[in-house]
Amino acid sequence: MNYFVRKLGFYLIALWAALTLNFLIPRLLPGNPVDILLAKLQQRGGIVTPDTRKAYELLLGGDSSEPLLVQYWNYLINIFRGDLGVSVSYFPTPVIEVINTSLPWTIMLVGVSTVLATVIGVALGAIVGWKPGTWLDSLIPATTLLAAVPYFWLALLLVYFFASTLKLFPSQGGYDVILDPGFSWEFIASAIQYGFLPALTIVIASVGGWLLGMRNMMVSTLSEDYILTAQAKGLSPGRILRHYAARNAVLPSVAGFAISLGFVVSGSIVTEQVFSYPGIGSKLLSAVTNNDYALMQGLFLFITLAVLVANLIVDLFYGLIDPRTRVNA
Amino acid sequence: MFLSTKRPRAGIRMALAGASAAMATTLLLAGCAPASGGSASGSADTLIAYTGQSGDYQINFNPYSPSQIGGIGTIFESLFFVTNVNTEAYTPLLGTEYTWNEDGTQLSVTLREGVTWSDGEDFTADDVAFTFQLLLDTPSLNNGGFDGTVEATDDTHVVFTWDHPAFVSGPTLLGRTPIVPEHIWSGIDPTTDVMEKPVGTGPYTLDNFKPQAFTLAANEDYWDGAPAVKAIRYLSLSGNTAGVDALKAGTIDWQTGPVPDIENVSTTYPGYDAITIPQNQVALLTCSSAELGCTGPQTDPAVRQAVYAALNRDQVNSLAFQNTASEISPTFALTTTQKDLISSAVAEPVAPGAADPDTAAEILEAAGWAKGSDGIYAKDGETLSLTVEVVTGWTDYITAIDTMAQQLKAAGIDLRVSQSSWNEWTDKKGKGTYQLAIDSLGQGAASDPYYLYDKYFNTAFTAPVGEVAPQNVARFSDPDVDAALAVLKATNPEDAETRQVQFDIIQEKIVAAMPYIPVLTGGTTSEFNVDKFTGWPTQDDLYAFPAVWASPDNAQIFKSLKPAGE
Repeated sequence: MNYFVRKLGFYLIALWAALTLNFLIPRLLPGNPVDILLAKLQQRGGIVTPDTRKAYELLLGGDSSEPLLVQYWNYLINIFRGDLGVSVSYFPTPVIEVINTSLPWTIMLVGVSTVLATVIGVALGAIVGWKPGTWLDSLIPATTLLAAVPYFWLALLLVYFFASTLKLFPSQGGYDVILDPGFSWEFIASAIQYGFLPALTIVIASVGGWLLGMRNMMVSTLSEDYILTAQAKGLSPGRILRHYAARNAVLPSVAGFAISLGFVVSGSIVTEQVFSYPGIGSKLLSAVTNNDYALMQGLFLFITLAVLVANLIVDLFYGLIDPRTRVNA
Repeated sequence: MFLSTKRPRAGIRMALAGASAAMATTLLLAGCAPASGGSASGSADTLIAYTGQSGDYQINFNPYSPSQIGGIGTIFESLFFVTNVNTEAYTPLLGTEYTWNEDGTQLSVTLREGVTWSDGEDFTADDVAFTFQLLLDTPSLNNGGFDGTVEATDDTHVVFTWDHPAFVSGPTLLGRTPIVPEHIWSGIDPTTDVMEKPVGTGPYTLDNFKPQAFTLAANEDYWDGAPAVKAIRYLSLSGNTAGVDALKAGTIDWQTGPVPDIENVSTTYPGYDAITIPQNQVALLTCSSAELGCTGPQTDPAVRQAVYAALNRDQVNSLAFQNTASEISPTFALTTTQKDLISSAVAEPVAPGAADPDTAAEILEAAGWAKGSDGIYAKDGETLSLTVEVVTGWTDYITAIDTMAQQLKAAGIDLRVSQSSWNEWTDKKGKGTYQLAIDSLGQGAASDPYYLYDKYFNTAFTAPVGEVAPQNVARFSDPDVDAALAVLKATNPEDAETRQVQFDIIQEKIVAAMPYIPVLTGGTTSEFNVDKFTGWPTQDDLYAFPAVWASPDNAQIFKSLKPAGE
C-alpha cells in the first residue's frame, strides 16, 4: 500500500508544478491580446482608431494591473472551481466551451489512430520478432523510414495522391459541412470518410516505433529459459508465441501505449493543420498566435491532466501486471 | 532457436483481421468523395465566400464584438453606406439624408420609412437612438468613439449633438455603426451576447450555422427588394493553398488574397477574374524621435531621407509583389482618390520608381556622415546599420526587405532583417523597441487623408519608448501638425479651401521628417467567379471595396450581384 501512497504523492507535486508553469509561461510571452486583435483587424482592412483600442481594452479587461501573486491565487482557486475563464480569441465564449467543441474530434481521430497503430505495430512486431534475421526484418527499416519522414510532408503526399489525384477522400475538414453533427448514420459515415486520411497519416507515421519496440522485446524474450522449457515440453509454436513470448514482450508496449493515450488529448497539431481538422491541435495553435492566455492555460491543463492520469494509471497498472516492479518498492 | 510450423496462428490473425476489417469498412463507407469542400458548392444563386478562415467558426453575430464572424452590412445595416475606395456621396440605407449645422456640433438624420426588422417588428428612430445610447452607456462597445448625445425627435428623425465640432466623426457614425433592434437588445448583455439568432434590417438573414460553414439567406422582406443572390455560404478551409486549390476546382466564388500567376487570373483560373485595389501604403516605420527615447541611426532625418532616395521601387514591386503594388506619395495621400489633395509645395508628389544613390549620398554627407573603408557610411564612430523588424512568414515583405537591402548596400547603408512572431513584432512596434519595421498604414472610414494623418502623426496617439503607443508608433511629434489636425477636425469636409491649407502644413512637415519611409502602395487582390455572377466592381465602377472580408462593402457587392443566367 505504501507504494501506491508514495506514487500518489509524487503525482500531486507534479500536478502543482505543472499548474504553476502553466500559469507562468503564457505571461512571459511578448505582446498582449488587445494589440494582436487590433493588428488582425487592421490586416483585414478594418478601421482602427485609438477609440477602438480603448473599447477593446475595456472589453477584454485590458492588461491586468493586479500583482502576479494575486493573479496566481485567483487562477488556482478558479481551476478548482472548474472555471477556466473566457477565451479572448473566441470572445465571449468560455474556454470550457471552446475545448468541449473540439475535444471529441481529437479524441476520436487521434485515439482511434493510436489504438490502430499500436495494435498493428505490436502484432507485426511479434511476428517479425518471432523470426528475426528473415526477410521479415526488412519491415523495420521500411516503417522507421516512414516514421522519420516529416509529418506534414507525408500528410501532403497523401492529400496529393488520395484527395487531389484519385479523388477518393476529401482533403480537408472534419465532416461534410452540409450535414448537421449528430448521431445519424449519414453524419458518422461522413466523419469517418473525412477522418480517414488524417488517421492514415498518424498510423503510418507511428506504426514503426511500435513495431521496432515489440520486435526487439520479442527477440530478447525468446532467449529466456522458459521459452526453451516450453519448447522442450512440446507445446505448439503458436501457443509459445502467444502465451509465453508475446505476453511478456508486450509489457513495455503496454506502458508506452498508456502514455501515448495521454498525449492523445494534445492532438496532433500538424495533422490537424494540414487537414484543417476541427480538433484541439488547431485551437492550441490559434491560442498561441493570439496570445489567448485563458485558452492556452485551459488546453495545457487538459493535456497535463491527461498525461499525468495516463502515467498514474500505467504506474499502478504496471505494478499489477509485472510483479517484478514491486519487489523494491 | 525456432521451430517452424504450418499451423495457423489464430491470435495474431484475429488481431490483424480485426484491423483490416476496420480499414475495409472505412474504405467501403468512403465511397466516392468530392474534392476539397466540393459538396459545399451550391446552386446557381448561392455564392460561396472564403474569407481566409481556417479552423472552426465560433458563432458570434454580435456586430460590436471584436470576434464577430459576419453580419455587418448583411444582417445589420448602418444609416448610410460609406466606403473609402471612392469619394462619392454616401449611399442611403436606413437613413435617407443627413445635414450638419454650421459649426459641426449638430447632425440631423432623416430615416427611411416602412423598414421592418427580420422578426417583423417595425424599425423606428427609437432603435437608432437606442443604438447610440447603448454605445454611450457601454464604453467597451464604443469602438468608433461616439462622444455626443442622441435624440429621436420623431419616428423618422434623429439628431446628434456634440459640445465640439464633430465633422470627422461623420463617416464612422453614419457608415460604420450597425443599428440594432431595441426590442431585443434592451434585454441582453451586449458585451457578451453572441446573437445566435441575429435580427436585423439587412438584405440577408442567418440561415444556418455550423462550425465549418455558415449560410446567410436572402431576406425576402428587405426594404430594397430581396437580393438576387439567394444564399451566401462562408467556408472554413486550411489556409491560402486551400483557397488556391478551391479556386482551381471552382468550388469557391470569391476570395481575397494573392494566388500563383496573379497577373493572368482569367486564363489560369477559367471563369474567374481578379481586381487589385491599391490601398495599403507599405512603409518602413521608423522609431524616429530621440526625445522620446528612440535609439539608432534612423533618428537622424537625413538617414530616413537617404533610405527613401536610395530605394528602387520598381524592382521591389516586381521581385516582391508580383507587380501588384503601385506608386506611393511621400505625403501619404492615396494617388488614386486623393491626388488633388497633395500639396503643390511638395517637390516630389510621387516617390520615384528608380533608385537615386547620388542624392542619397548628398543628403548623408551634408549631415556629416562619411563613407568608411567597407563602403558603409559612419558618423561619430556609429556605422549606418539598420535592422528591420518583420513577421516570420510574411514572404512578400521579407523578399521586399532582401531586395531593399541590396539596393541600400549600393548606397552605403547596411540594412538587416530580423524576423519574429506576430506577437513579438507587434510588441516591439507598440513599445518603440525597434529601429525600422515594415508594415502598411491603414486608411480611415472614408477616403480622406485626415484619418491617416491623425492616427499616425498626432502627438496624442504616441508614447515614450517603453510605453505602448496606440497608433503613432514612429513617435512623431510636431506642434504645427497637431494644430493643423485640430483645425481639420473642426472644418466642414465640404470646405476644401480651408482644409487644403492645413493639408499643406502637414504634408510639408511629414515629407521633410519622414518618420514613415514610403515604399509602395500595396494592392489587395481579389478573385471572383464571373461565369456564375455578374455585377462585380471594376476599376471604372468601384462602388465598394471588393475584398471578401471588407464589411460593410461586401454586403453592398452581394446586393449588386446577379446570377449570370438572369
